[in-house]
Amino acid sequence: MFCGANPRWTSQLCYPLSSIMTVSSKYSPLLFVCSLLFTPGCAFLFDWVDTASSAPLVPHFTECISREMATFSCWWSTGSFQNISSPEDLKVFYERKSPGKTDRNECPQYNYLNQECFFDANHTTAWDTYCLELHVHNVTYANEDDCFTLPYIVIPDPPVALNWTLLNLSPSGLSYDVLVSWKPPPSADVKSGWMRVEYELQYRELNSTKWKNLEIQYDPQQTIYGLHVGREYEVHIRSKMKAFVKFGEFSKSIFIQIEGSGDDGTSFPVMLALIFGISGIFIIIMFIVVSQHQRLIMILLPPVPAPKIKGIDSELLKKGKLEELNLILSGGGMGGLSAHAPDFYQDEPWVEFIEVDIDGADSSEKEDNQGSDTQRLLALSQQVGNHMHIGSSNATCFPDDDSGRASCYDLDHPDQDPLIPMATLLPGQPEDREASADRDQTTAPQTWVNTDFYAQVSNVMPSGGVVLSPGQQLRAQENQEDAKKGSKKETCDDNAKDIHFQLLVVDPENTEIKQNSTPSTSPVSNEGYQTVPLQTVDPNPIEEQQSPYILTPDSPQSPPFTPVADYTVVQEVDSQHSLLLNPPPQQQAPPPSCQSQHPLKSLPAMPVDYITPDLFGHLSQ
Amino acid sequence: LVCSSGSCVSLRRVGTWIESAENEKTEKNCVSVCVQEQQVAPSRNHIGRVNRNCHTSSILTPNDKENAQRMTREELTEVILKLLVAWREPLWHFEQRLRPQSLETSDRAAQVGRMVHEVRSGVQRVAQKMQMLGMIGNFVSGLSSPEAQAPSESSEWQLLQNWDLLHCLRRDANKVQNYLKILKCRIVPEYGC
Repeated sequence: MFCGANPRWTSQLCYPLSSIMTVSSKYSPLLFVCSLLFTPGCAFLFDWVDTASSAPLVPHFTECISREMATFSCWWSTGSFQNISSPEDLKVFYERKSPGKTDRNECPQYNYLNQECFFDANHTTAWDTYCLELHVHNVTYANEDDCFTLPYIVIPDPPVALNWTLLNLSPSGLSYDVLVSWKPPPSADVKSGWMRVEYELQYRELNSTKWKNLEIQYDPQQTIYGLHVGREYEVHIRSKMKAFVKFGEFSKSIFIQIEGSGDDGTSFPVMLALIFGISGIFIIIMFIVVSQHQRLIMILLPPVPAPKIKGIDSELLKKGKLEELNLILSGGGMGGLSAHAPDFYQDEPWVEFIEVDIDGADSSEKEDNQGSDTQRLLALSQQVGNHMHIGSSNATCFPDDDSGRASCYDLDHPDQDPLIPMATLLPGQPEDREASADRDQTTAPQTWVNTDFYAQVSNVMPSGGVVLSPGQQLRAQENQEDAKKGSKKETCDDNAKDIHFQLLVVDPENTEIKQNSTPSTSPVSNEGYQTVPLQTVDPNPIEEQQSPYILTPDSPQSPPFTPVADYTVVQEVDSQHSLLLNPPPQQQAPPPSCQSQHPLKSLPAMPVDYITPDLFGHLSQ
Repeated sequence: LVCSSGSCVSLRRVGTWIESAENEKTEKNCVSVCVQEQQVAPSRNHIGRVNRNCHTSSILTPNDKENAQRMTREELTEVILKLLVAWREPLWHFEQRLRPQSLETSDRAAQVGRMVHEVRSGVQRVAQKMQMLGMIGNFVSGLSSPEAQAPSESSEWQLLQNWDLLHCLRRDANKVQNYLKILKCRIVPEYGC
């Protein structure tokens, strides 16, 4: 049903179009206009126009209204019937259904002029269902829609006695609040509580067409906020039953106006003062910010502390305190960084260390204890030497006698003496000499000299030069030569006594030496070596020292000798402080007598290790 | 909760029951059976020709202003209470009936169910308070909870359909509200009368 779809619509809209012609003033102005114009545009107001206009309109009731819930009236219309002239042709009957009883009566009071049936208080009962019927020419026209109960048809009268009072005026004098009060409709018995009426207030400016609605409320007074001075307002109120939907008509309007000096007059100095004040405050703030610039920056953006390494002072690095830094880094300081740095050469960080793969050599020793150990060592030393030489092109390494490790120095330092890279002068074994020599010839920077695996230092010169002894072959030749002269025993002893050693200094810069060395020539000898003018060490004190390491390559000066290798490596020291030396290589058979009797033992076939300084000290004792 | 079309029954503690009838500005205190017309009422005035016989028809109630004003305060209170008590059980069952509703009408059904629940609980409180105050005498038996009480009286309400039940509830709620207002204006006329 269209009326029910929008409960806010009044029942007037639901009436058929024909009844508009007989409309009274209580209908809405819109409907009245529509009826006058009778345009199809009004059809949208009545959704059921099509159905209604097609059928002839029968007599029916237009509406029933009660104003105070004590009496009510119903209006009818004859429809399209035109032949209703006398009143007797039309009668109104009603059925009143109470709980438990139903009575049927005729309209208690007719008003044919208005086509109205009035029910007075005696015939009106609330909460009973009334159903009205029209009897025209003995034909009953009854409709389902004509049944109702009293509360549903109550439409209160509009309130009366509207007036308004000024509540307050804004400080600027531009707006004000108004309290509007009124009285309930006199017809509604609100005082006894029989009717509960609600009100809706609407107001607008006179020059606008849109009404502003305020909230529906029960109090007969309401406050309107925010009215503007100098403008005129119109206010009107309508009422309705509480909890029901039908509104009554609007009351008479009242007009509210407060005379003012106008908006521009009062607002301009205020605005001016505001602008000045704000700009002044802004200037003061800017002044503060500019003057306290640095302090504000410190407060707002505090500096972030720079990262710091624990234990290391950046000042040390600036001043160049390298030793302390080294201490910290090596773990000597508190919370040191690394604990694996070697302790020996803290002062000499430029020292390089040779690391020989002892394990590989040992394992190979177990397998083959014969003469391949020397080969392996030779290979190892070659590798080491190669590595050392290649790796440090600018560095020259020479074995440190005390520690047995090679010490390298940078060739760029002119103050250091040019020394022989001893590691590269490792003499190879005779059988390997060729191989090593081949390698020597192929690699130019190689300083391989066709010497034995070890080169014995004959003498150390004060200038720092080292004199080496010649290779084994030379010694063998010398031994052969000498063997013709004397017995071995004698030579052994003589050798022990007359061992002269001479150190050879090979200039590392003289590449000719290395290149010229040939494997076959046993004079690998003095010619291969370039001697630096050094004072030759008296062999006697050497003899006293019984140093087996100092050998002299000087063949003419060499005494008759037994085939002893030009170097001797101490294998072990027995309880009698006698040295067990490594036997010499295969060419020379060590005189067994020498081995047993002489404290200088024959050379072992394979040198194992260098002698350590403390052991050397034992030897000298 | 919009009381657009329906009787508004406000039931609060009996200590403030005088205000209750008038404190309907705040809709949250107001329990309204708002029946959507298009749903249930094809007629213009939402009634229809069928005479619904509500289960509270047996209770004698003043149907006009004179009769209502002629009644004493106690009589009026008694009528009010009778009506409220009579609706407790049907409201409870109606609430149960509304629960397994389809999703379409779930909003409305839930709303009605909530309203019904509030009315029922309000009635319970009012009745208990009045009994405590000694304002009622003969209704002690009828004040127990509907769950515990066996439906002894005629269960006419059970025969009613949903719409009829709502219509009856609406009418009776309007009655109760009117009677309450009359009582209030009689006792304290200065409060909005």
